[in-house]
This record gives sequence, structure tokens and C-alpha cells, in this order.
Amino acid sequence: MTSEDRTNPNREGIELPAPTSAPFVCAFGVTLIFAGIVTNWAVSIVGFVLGIVGAIRWWHEVLPDNRKECLPIDGRRPTIEVSPGGVAHLMTAESPHRARIPLEIHPYGAGVKGGIAGGIAMAIVAGVWGWVDQSSIWYPVNILGATVLPDFAHENATQLAQWHTAAFVLGLVIHACMSLMIGLLYGVILPMIPRFRLGFAAVAVPLIWTGLAWASLDIINPLLNQQINWWWFIGSQVAFGLACWFVVSRSERIGTMQNWSMLERTGMESPGIREMGGDG
Amino acid sequence: MSTLNAQPVGAPTPPDALPQTLNSGKCGMLCLIASEITFFGTLLAVYLFYIGKDPVGTPTPAEMLDVSVAPLKVVFNSIFLLTSSIWITLAVRQLARGNIKAFAVWWLLTILFGLEFLVGTGFEWYGLIAEQGFTIRTNLFGSGFYTVVGFHAAHVTIGLFLLSLVFVLTCLGKMHQRHTEKVELLSWYWHFVDGIWIVVFTIVYIIGH
Amino acid sequence: MTTLDHPGNPTRIKPTFLGRMHEWIATADHKKLGVMYVTTGLIFFLIGGLEATMMRWQLAVPGSTLLSPSDFNRLFTMHGTTMVFLVGMPILLGVANYFVPLQIGARDLAFPRLNAFGFWLFFFGGLLLYFSYFGAQGLYGMGSAPDVGWFAYAPLTERTYSRGHSTDYWILGLLVSSFGSIATGINLITTILTMRCRGMTLMKMPLLVWLMLIDAVLIMIAMPPLAAAQVMLLFDRLLGAHFFDVQGGGSAILWQNLFWFFGHPEVYILILPAFAYVSEIIPVFCRKVIFGYPLMVAATVSIGFISLGVWVHHLFALGLSPMVNTIFMGSTMLIAIPTGIKMFNWVGTMVGGKIRFDTPMLFSTGFLALFLIGGLTGIMLSVVPFDWQVSDSYFVVGHFHYVLFGGLVFSIFAAIYYWFPKVTGRMMNEALGKWQFWLLFLGFNLTFGPMHVSGMLGMPRRIYTYHADRGWDLWNLLSSIGVLVQIAGVAFFVWNVIHSLRKGREAGADPWDAWTLEWSTASPPPDYNFEEIPEVYSRRPLWDIKHPDDPDWKYE
Ligand code: HEM
Ligand SMILES: [Cu+2]
Repeated sequence: MTSEDRTNPNREGIELPAPTSAPFVCAFGVTLIFAGIVTNWAVSIVGFVLGIVGAIRWWHEVLPDNRKECLPIDGRRPTIEVSPGGVAHLMTAESPHRARIPLEIHPYGAGVKGGIAGGIAMAIVAGVWGWVDQSSIWYPVNILGATVLPDFAHENATQLAQWHTAAFVLGLVIHACMSLMIGLLYGVILPMIPRFRLGFAAVAVPLIWTGLAWASLDIINPLLNQQINWWWFIGSQVAFGLACWFVVSRSERIGTMQNWSMLERTGMESPGIREMGGDG
Repeated sequence: MSTLNAQPVGAPTPPDALPQTLNSGKCGMLCLIASEITFFGTLLAVYLFYIGKDPVGTPTPAEMLDVSVAPLKVVFNSIFLLTSSIWITLAVRQLARGNIKAFAVWWLLTILFGLEFLVGTGFEWYGLIAEQGFTIRTNLFGSGFYTVVGFHAAHVTIGLFLLSLVFVLTCLGKMHQRHTEKVELLSWYWHFVDGIWIVVFTIVYIIGH
Repeated sequence: MTTLDHPGNPTRIKPTFLGRMHEWIATADHKKLGVMYVTTGLIFFLIGGLEATMMRWQLAVPGSTLLSPSDFNRLFTMHGTTMVFLVGMPILLGVANYFVPLQIGARDLAFPRLNAFGFWLFFFGGLLLYFSYFGAQGLYGMGSAPDVGWFAYAPLTERTYSRGHSTDYWILGLLVSSFGSIATGINLITTILTMRCRGMTLMKMPLLVWLMLIDAVLIMIAMPPLAAAQVMLLFDRLLGAHFFDVQGGGSAILWQNLFWFFGHPEVYILILPAFAYVSEIIPVFCRKVIFGYPLMVAATVSIGFISLGVWVHHLFALGLSPMVNTIFMGSTMLIAIPTGIKMFNWVGTMVGGKIRFDTPMLFSTGFLALFLIGGLTGIMLSVVPFDWQVSDSYFVVGHFHYVLFGGLVFSIFAAIYYWFPKVTGRMMNEALGKWQFWLLFLGFNLTFGPMHVSGMLGMPRRIYTYHADRGWDLWNLLSSIGVLVQIAGVAFFVWNVIHSLRKGREAGADPWDAWTLEWSTASPPPDYNFEEIPEVYSRRPLWDIKHPDDPDWKYE
């Protein structure tokens, strides 16, 4: 497209490529050539002839110059209603215009701390269960280890109540990783939740998570499934949610960097940038 | 009521968004070449994968490509194909200057050189098939060899066909300076066919040997 | 605002039936071709759906004998092939055909005749594939369709095992139609790179245009290798070559690699358009700009790159070296990052917005929920040991239907409800649309949710029946019942289209109060799209005009 026809001073009509059946004929020919391979060579011959006919017509369209048709302007030209005002803005003192929510977030550190607190609370509840139910606090650790050490699932309750170094180390690592990850997620997600943050953290998520674990463990590892008391499971999840929520929501919120300039975000030292407004 | 190309007060005048160097024809041809490269790339990857994996063993690439082809002949043909790239560049340059006659001469030379390559391949294949009885079904090497070289030859054929079409139009006096652009695009395709041959030649006649 | 007496071309005399036929056959207009693509795709969607229904009917109860094993093989092969190549591809190309030029302020694609050629190749390729039902010589002289699965693993496809011509039809039909797709892909790239209106720099393009650009690049890179692989297979079958003939030293594993080198990018070719539609729809119905535009672009580009390097995750069960498996497990998980970024950006767009739940938005929200599930099961599958457990089971079937049906098809419905007024000048019916959405949503989950369970219980895919003692009965019955609900949903859709075409409320140029250029021209747009080629100053040119006191160009 050249810059002349872009502004289109020509009021009578607008030039567009002329319709042509050449592509249709050509495509049909090509298909027949292929179809002949699995039917009869005569089909291919017909296809070839059609293809050539189509190609010749096509060349007549584009050689030496593209054929065009001139279409009349039909006058249906919609107007675009101007409606100034009436736009609800998300604005704050910090962000003069078009803020993106959330305006403030919890620092990642809060998520990490929340994860640690939640992990400890959860371990305590699980330990209490082990003590009350099986009179061994190693029981829940061993079960966690059993998710990756398949041999463990076959052991009976007394064996599971004893101390196993491998299971302890593995269980601890799994527990720490999961707690940190979920803590981080809480830290990121909680400010996005408009209402009922406590309900989300301490009721909804534990229930959903337990439900998922319950439904899939029955299929993935039914033996392991028998060793778990799901009511206590929910209890430990709720303990996690409560502790994590408590720590995260008490942390000081920080504003997002949405109004910062590129230079500020990269941490470059250049006084006065903020006042100049940056490149937003 | 407001129109779509009224510049709002205070708005910066929009720059022309489009790069001046890349027009539709060039962009389309480059894309076509890119997709052809992935096509040939697949065939060549398969060829490379199968080198030395033939359970039937004989005939090996070394045997076949030595006996009948006499590598010198292939090199000879390749030189014809590769130099045709030079002639087509010269032809386009003449057309850009409006020198139709000189254009026609260089263009014809390109066609003849390409034709020599094709005929050369034909003789090579005739030797292999009719005299040595080496076909696409003989073994894995045969399958790969005929497919790769065959698809390249098919591309040369298509190229020659299009080149001849332009030549006929030139003889009919329908080619003018303003067609330089379209002709140049065709020359890009021809360069691609030549370039691919260098890769095919390296893999089939040197690495796979 | 002019009223429309008969949508189409008001200035012309009403043509005869034959005249109109000729107009469609000879057209090089991107809008007509777009409509033809989408219509053909929807018709194939009904055919593919019929095939699926027959399969679920057979599987509803154990030991059923409604279908013979070989009929069943043909059905799942044709179903998969149809849905990917004859439904997904044409619809995505059709929508791109129609709206890319409109959104970038152009009058047509770069190569209009090539565009028509591409469509007809796709069309005849599809017909050739289906002709196999009549033409492919089966063992007893009866026609029969391909029965080797949509990925046609070697050596099952070799002459020795697949007699007659059914596999040849599969190869040839797809070859022809993929030539068409490649041509149209190249056409789209060229159009987007060279035909944007003044002011539309790359970073001011609507996201649909960005996504279709990357999509077309993937088509250009990934489809020729499939063609090459199919040609080699064809040479094996017709000329006696040995590429995939294991007796002759050929490698069946090589076919798997070649197919999935195409196949994985292909699934992203199918899902990027879904991303494109919801990226257009969600902001309009939340009355907010899209959250994180630059990040969306970056995520799109990186998805394009990464998707070319993950194909081995379809080959985990093959027994490749642990090193290879681990590398591809890593790259597969990597792709979840840009995908996740997109999910967050859509949700971020919704947060705090004034959401209007019209049907397009309903389907987009459905897309978010279902695609999320599909993405999560995808990540589960990328873990090698888990994949070994459920590979080739109904779990995988569940996974890819959540991404392809829940993802792609739901977003296609969103797109149809959103752009139907632009294409036809009439609104679709909201009430019928809501019925369709809820029935489809319910039926979909009823069908494909239980598949995760039956898959984990060990039910392999592609079996034509099963014993009653496996514990799979309930899940299969639920799946089959779900199909009935879905059929009801699709029936509402068909009804809605027919009803709205004839009696739909007149739409006007801009029924959704949207912001991209296609809404600035009449509905349906005149042949030349824009009387004057527009100029844009921001990503939302119509917003700038509607709100001169608060234009976007001040903040981009
Ligand atoms: C988060 C992103 C995704 C991941 C990690 C992922 C992972 C996987 C894996 C590992 C498999 C192989 C399963 C097996 O055969 O054992 C698979 C299969 C499949 N995926 Fe995905 N996937 C993702 C997204 C998608 C998307 C977006 C689509 C399409 C729109 C898709 C379509 C498919 C299909 C069609 C198959 C099955 C192919 C077949 O065997 O017939 N996936 N996916
Ligand atoms: Cu994949």
C-alpha cells in the first residue's frame, strides 16, 4: 500500500482487487492431482489441466499489473458518539491517573514469614494428632515421607510410629518447601481478595486443598490413604491458614511500582526523576 | 461526531508505522523461503539421522556416488547452478536500469545454466537407476537420496518454469522497468534454490559419503 | 446512523442465487473468505461432534457392541483429525482473516488471491479426507476412513499393516489443507508487518493482532515439517521407500519425533487464537484496559519460542534417556510461566472492573476456569514419573479436552457472540446464549471431568470397550450422559444463529461500546472496510475519540 491511496482523495470509489475464480480452479486442480494418486491417474491428468487453466487465469490477473475493480462508496458511515466524562477513575494521591489494582501489596518477605509460621503451626497440630491418636509424634512425619518413599506405605502402624531418619529428613524438606511456597502464594493473593480474607485463608483454601488431596490420594495411593485421619488433616490445614494469615496481614504493606519510571525501577541513582514524571 | 483520522489536539503526529524497506512482496517471499527452509531442514535432518544406519548395507553411498556419478560431474553441474545466481543478479540490475535487451540476455543465460543442472541430474539418476539398478526402494540410503535430491530438483524445475514465463513475457515485450520489484523477488527464490543446493551437496555428497 | 434494509451491499441490485454463488466462489475479499472459513469450520465441528457422540454412546456401558472395533478406530481417528485440522485451523484462520485487516486499518490482506487459494485448498483437502469414507479401498472392497489415530504412528501406517488407501487419504487430505494453512499464515504475517495504518506501531497493535502474528509464525515454522514427514510416509507407502519401515532399518521413533515437532507447536497454534479472543473481549466487558499489555506481548513471544522446544513430552513413555526426559520436563514446565502470566493478566483486568456478564464475557470467563484446569493437568503430565503412570490413558484425554474444548472452543463461542453483530449487522440472542453457555459448561465438565478419574484408574484411551469389573463403569456413564447435555447446548447455538440471522436485533456499528478499529466502520463493513484509512494514536483509537477529555495517548 502506498501513501497515496492511504489518504484516498478519490471520492468516486475505492479500488480493490477484482474478484476472480482462478484460485478456486487452481486449488481444485491441485487437489485432484493429489486425489489421482489414490484413485486413478486420469484424475490427476484432469487436475493438472485444471491447475494449468487456473494458473493462466491467475497470471492474467496479476501480470503485467494487478487487476482491480472500483467499488462505489455506499455512504454507510457510522458516527462515533463522543461521550466525555462519565468515566470512573481509579485514582489515589500517589497515582495521579489510571491506577492498577492492587495499589499496595505485602512484601514477599511477609509471605515467607507467614509460610514459616504456618508450617510450625501445622506441624504442632499434626504432632498433637500423632501423640493423641498413635502416641508417637513421628507418625505424621513418616506418613509425609511415605508419599515419596513407596515402601513406607506398606508398613503397619507400629513401624510408622518409630523414628526413621530418611523419612524425617524427607518429610522435613517436603514440609518446608510446601509451607514456603504456599506462604508466598498467600502473601501475593491475599491483597487481591476483596472481602473475607480470613475466611479465604483459614477456611476455603484448607477445605479445597483437603478435598483435592482426599480425592486423589484414594486413587494414587490407597494404602497411604488408610493411614490418614482426614478430620485432623483439616485441622492442621486450618492451623496453617490461621497462622499464615495472621503473620501476612500484620505485615506493613508497600505500594506497587506502577508509577515509577523505568530508571527508578532499575534502581538507578538519578535525583529529580520522580518530579519530572518519568516515562510512565 | 468525530472522524478517525482527525489528529487530536496535542497528540504527537504519528510516525509512519511501517518500515520503508519491507514491502509486502519482499516480506511474503522471505516467509515463503523460511517455510521452505523448515521443509528441507526436516528432510535433511532425517537424511543425517539415517547416515550409517542402513541394515542392508550395500550399496553404500560411497559405492553408488563414486561409480556412476563420478563426483567431478556433480561438481561440474553444481558450478552451473551456482553461477546462474550471478547471472540472475546481473539481469535484475539491467532491468532496474531499463535495459530490457541486456536483461533478456542475462535472464536467458540463467535459464540455460539452470537447465544444464537439471539435465545433469537427469543423467545422474538415469545412470543410477537404469545402469546400477539403484532405486528409492533399494535401501534407506536410496530412500533418503532420491527424496532429498528429488525435492531439490523439483524446486529447480518450478523455478525454471517461472523464469521461462518471465522470459516469454519479455519476448512479447510486456516486461518493463517497473516490474523490477516482481522480478527481483523471483531472483530471491532462485538464490534460495541455489543456496539449499550447497547444503544438500555438503550433506549428501561430502558428509554422507 | 443509516439503517440496514438488507445487510450486504445495499447499493447493488439483489443478485440471483447463481450470481451469489459465483460471488462467493470468485471472491478475494478477506471478509467473505473469513465467513466461509468459520462456516466450514462449524459444519465440520458438527460432524466431528457426531463422531464423538457415537464413540461415547459405545463406551457408555461396558461390553457394548454397538460399534465394531474397526469402526471405533476410524471414528477416533477422524474425530481427532477433524477437530484439529478442519475445525480449529479454519476457524482461527477465518477470524484472523476477517478481523486482522479491520483491526490494523487495512482494506484487505496483503495477497487477496493467495488468500482465496488458501481457503479453497483447505476446503478441498477436507473434502478429500472425508471422501475416504467412500473412496479408500478397504479389505473387502468397501470404502473406509483412516484408522491409525490422529498422530498416525509408524509402523502401523506402513503398507504391511495398513492395507488399502485409507492412510494415503489421511496423508493427502492433510497435505492439501496444510498447504492452504501455510499460505494463509504467510499472508497474515505479511499483512501485519506491512499494512498497518498510520500510527499503529507494533506496540500499539491490538493483542489479537499480536497473537495472530506469532500464531502465523508458528504455522510457517511448524507445518512444513509435518508436510515433509507425510511426504516421506507417502513415499514409503507408494514407492516402497524405507523411512519408517522398521524391517528396512527405518525408525518408528523418528516418526514420533517428527510428528510431535509439529504436533506440540500445533496445539499452541490452536490455543493462541483463544488467548487472542479473550484478550479482546475481557477488557471491553470489564471496561478497563488490558492489564500489562507489554507483558502480554512478551509472554506471547516467549510462548512461541518455548513451544518449539518441548515436543518430547509426548514421548516420555518411549524410554528415552533420563537426561533427555529431564531436559524436556524442564522446558515443558517453563512454558507454564508465560501462560500463567497471561492468566494473571486476564484476572488482573477483571479485578476492580465493572464487569458486564453478556454471553461473550460468560464464555470468556468459562474459558479462564476450564483452561486453568487443563493447564494444571498439563503441568502434572510434564512430571515424567506421573506421566508414565497416566500416559495414553483417559487422563490425557481429559487434559487435552480441557485445553482444547474448554479453552479453544469456549473462546470461539465467545468470539462468535462478540463479533457476530459486526459480521451480520444483527445481535445474537442473549437468553439463548445463556442457555447455551450453562448447558455446555455443565455438560462439558460432566463429560471430561470424570475422564481424569477413569484415567487414573487405569483406563487406556482408544479402547472400543471394557469389562465391567474394572471400576470404570460409573465414570464412563457420567461422561456419556454429559454428551447429551452438550448436544442440547450446541442445539441452542444452532437455533440462536438461525434465529438471529433472520430476526436478531439490529446491532449498529458499535454495540459493545468497544475500542478497536473494527467497531468504527458499519456492520457489516462495506467491501472496502474504511472509506478513509484511519490514523491511530493509542492502542484504543475509539476510546480516544469517545473521550477526548481523557485520551489514552497521554498515558501510553
Ligand atoms: C501448561 C501447559 C501445558 C503442559 C505443561 C502440557 C503438557 C502435556 C503433556 C506432558 C502431554 C503428554 C501426555 C501424554 O501423552 O502422556 C500433553 C498432551 C496433550 N496436550 Fe498438553 N500441555 C499444556 C497445554 C496444552 C495446550 C494449551 C494444549 C492445546 C490447546 C494442549 C494439548 C494437548 C494435546 C492435544 C495432548 C495430547 C496429544 C495426544 O496424545 O493425542 N496442551 N500435554
Ligand atoms: Cu505438547
